[in-house]
Amino acid sequence: MLRTRRGFFDVITGGGSSGGTAALLAARGHEAYVAELQAQRRTARPPLPPGVSEIRLSSNENPLGPGRKVLEAIEKKFPEAGRYPFNSTPADSNLVAAIASLHKVKPENVVLGAGSQEILKNAVRAFTSPQRGLVTASPTFENPTSTVKRLGHPVKEVPVDSEFRLDAGGMLAAAPGAGLVFFNNPNNPTATVHGAKTVADFVAGVRKASPETVILIDEAYHEYVTDPAYATAVPLALETPNVIVARTFSKAYGMAGMRIGYGLGRAETIKQLARFKMPYNISVFGVAAALAALDDPAYLAAESRRNTEVRDFTVKVLQELGCTCTPSQGNFLFVDVHRPAKDFRDACAKHGVMVGRDFPPFEKTHARISIGTMQEMRKAADVFRGVLKPVTAAGRQEGLWR
Amino acid sequence: MALTRRNFVRTVGVGAAGALTSSFIGARGRENLVWSALEMPVHAVEPGMIVISSNENPMGPGPKVLEAIRAAFGADGSRPGRYSGSARNLIDTLAQKHGVKPENIVLGCGSTQILRTVTHVFTAKDRPLVATIPTYEECADYATLMGNKVVGVPLNSDFMPDLDRFADASKGAGLVFYCNPSNPSSTFVGAKATRDFVAKVTRESPETTILVDEAYFEYVTNPDHETFIPLAVQNPRVIVARTFSKAYGMAGLRIGYAVGHAESIKKMAEWDAGTGTSSLNVLAMHAAIAAVEQGEEFITKERGRNASVRDFAMKWFADRGMKPTDSQANFMFVNVGRPCKEFRDACRAKKVVVARDFPPFEKTHCRIAFGTMEEMQKAVKVFAEVLGKPATAAA
Repeated sequence: MLRTRRGFFDVITGGGSSGGTAALLAARGHEAYVAELQAQRRTARPPLPPGVSEIRLSSNENPLGPGRKVLEAIEKKFPEAGRYPFNSTPADSNLVAAIASLHKVKPENVVLGAGSQEILKNAVRAFTSPQRGLVTASPTFENPTSTVKRLGHPVKEVPVDSEFRLDAGGMLAAAPGAGLVFFNNPNNPTATVHGAKTVADFVAGVRKASPETVILIDEAYHEYVTDPAYATAVPLALETPNVIVARTFSKAYGMAGMRIGYGLGRAETIKQLARFKMPYNISVFGVAAALAALDDPAYLAAESRRNTEVRDFTVKVLQELGCTCTPSQGNFLFVDVHRPAKDFRDACAKHGVMVGRDFPPFEKTHARISIGTMQEMRKAADVFRGVLKPVTAAGRQEGLWR
Repeated sequence: MALTRRNFVRTVGVGAAGALTSSFIGARGRENLVWSALEMPVHAVEPGMIVISSNENPMGPGPKVLEAIRAAFGADGSRPGRYSGSARNLIDTLAQKHGVKPENIVLGCGSTQILRTVTHVFTAKDRPLVATIPTYEECADYATLMGNKVVGVPLNSDFMPDLDRFADASKGAGLVFYCNPSNPSSTFVGAKATRDFVAKVTRESPETTILVDEAYFEYVTNPDHETFIPLAVQNPRVIVARTFSKAYGMAGLRIGYAVGHAESIKKMAEWDAGTGTSSLNVLAMHAAIAAVEQGEEFITKERGRNASVRDFAMKWFADRGMKPTDSQANFMFVNVGRPCKEFRDACRAKKVVVARDFPPFEKTHCRIAFGTMEEMQKAVKVFAEVLGKPATAAA
């Protein structure tokens, strides 16, 4: 039963002991559960042919990671590994100050989270109740949904519109009396974005219809947006009561493994949220890494450009295969593969390409594919060509593929 | 007693003990400051300061741990950009270390997340938290945040929990927070007395869960000492919290865990589990695996190092008529004959940082962590200067 670190995956691959593992995983939060399952699936499947390495396109990560300056900043903090983050130099308070400075706000407008997930979870904890539920979309990032369900507070999930965008009108109609509205822009997994005017009108509408309702705008993919109609809602959050913008270092900054995010808003709103913050939630290394990343805007700009280029390439490849992507404004695509996501995913996995999980209610037709490096996507494109072809041969209506 | 921002524990009469003072959640001082951006000092610790305020291991982690962190960057440095799948590997490593099953373990972002999660799961409006006054406040803070009651049980004159009174107060409780060795008192309850306490609470209040916080476990040198992990995996009403922040020298990494019965662990994990996609950073998980795999030698050495410094620092105070509490941890609680704040500010002016206030003893006592021997030799010179002057406020 007991396994060493190095032995673990081998045992799982060998089968037979997965019962206890499944039970343990079942006990975890949904996202965590899914990610860990993915990790296991990766190792549980038959070994890849020689020379084929795995390409992970399942978690909307920056495939290049954080960059050399960040890694150097982490190494410089080795002597302070034993210090609490408030005792290190720089301290977590310095990170708050740097984030405040980036957004030209005061430290009181900022709260740190262990990833933006902590911001999302804590917003649900702080602002929903048995009487005042959550309004969210379907599909969208499900962390607030799973948190509110765990609390047993009500939730309304408003389907995305026919163009896979958040249904701002529908969400507005559902908002009166809600404790919290979750507005993911760009939206994961559908990859679509709403422009500044739609967001401003939505916020104004909710404020008018239900002034007690808190609006959480999750801009996790902000740095990847290229649509000129889009603008961050940070200024809106600073001038409007009960509006919070969540940001993260997990996506374009390439630091998903470091667990750093933050919330921005008016001081009185942030104060409510900060009551639920886990003390000392960012590691000494996370503090140093985030500060180094903030000090290197060129790295971020290069990552945005790189993503756009690879995104365009991948969209085109899929289009040529007759598979239409929603207009992606993130580092991932939501694409109609004309078959269950599971079939597509399993077929790709055989070639070492790992794409996203099911996203109901579109799991019968759509897959989410994260954008890797250009080299990875060229390899993945070959796999997609092979995987998506046989369906055409299997007698799909020809018109579908034009 | 002066009210502070954090002074929100309800006063609850406990049987014959009557109304208890309950300001132990009073001031969190420095540690609390990180709760609020409004109060955060930038550059709180300046270079050259001796920081003996937070019960850290001043030596930090071993070289193998640092190597593991560097290795966790990945061959091309991209791995910090990935959500980590290492939580399972760490759980397996810990399960092996403690001779338990993976389903007996849940990870946390420091034991902080564990303490908050246990409080969330096991207290309720009608099922209070019971803890000593003073103790580490995380559970009480969180219970208060949830609007659940907190019952405080004063320590006796030796700064030890009065176990009969503690057990009586625990009847009907949702959760008992049993920190052993305790913080800030640094005192320790022996294995048999703890076993008897747990048995009594379990017998008299079967629905009550007991959280045994063993954050300072590795520092105990008293032979009457054992972990409650074996009991916890058998008894769904007992949970043990452990951390890498103390003897392992990894407070900066933010990683801790709970060990308990699979049923209790499942409840905790369902509410809020630290994993590679939520609150646990990838470097911490790799570091923690390496910390366990480096073997017990590291801990044995650190325990010995701390014990020497502890003997020196405690003797220094005892020789001057200020006998500290009987420390079994990497800090002591000492009567400095003046308000802690006065002592702390005077020390800080001389670049020695000691701990915050711990009501109800903030008028007389200070918590001082053990730095390196070299640091403590310097620190006692500062203490001599500071204590050599008469107190300006009545103690």
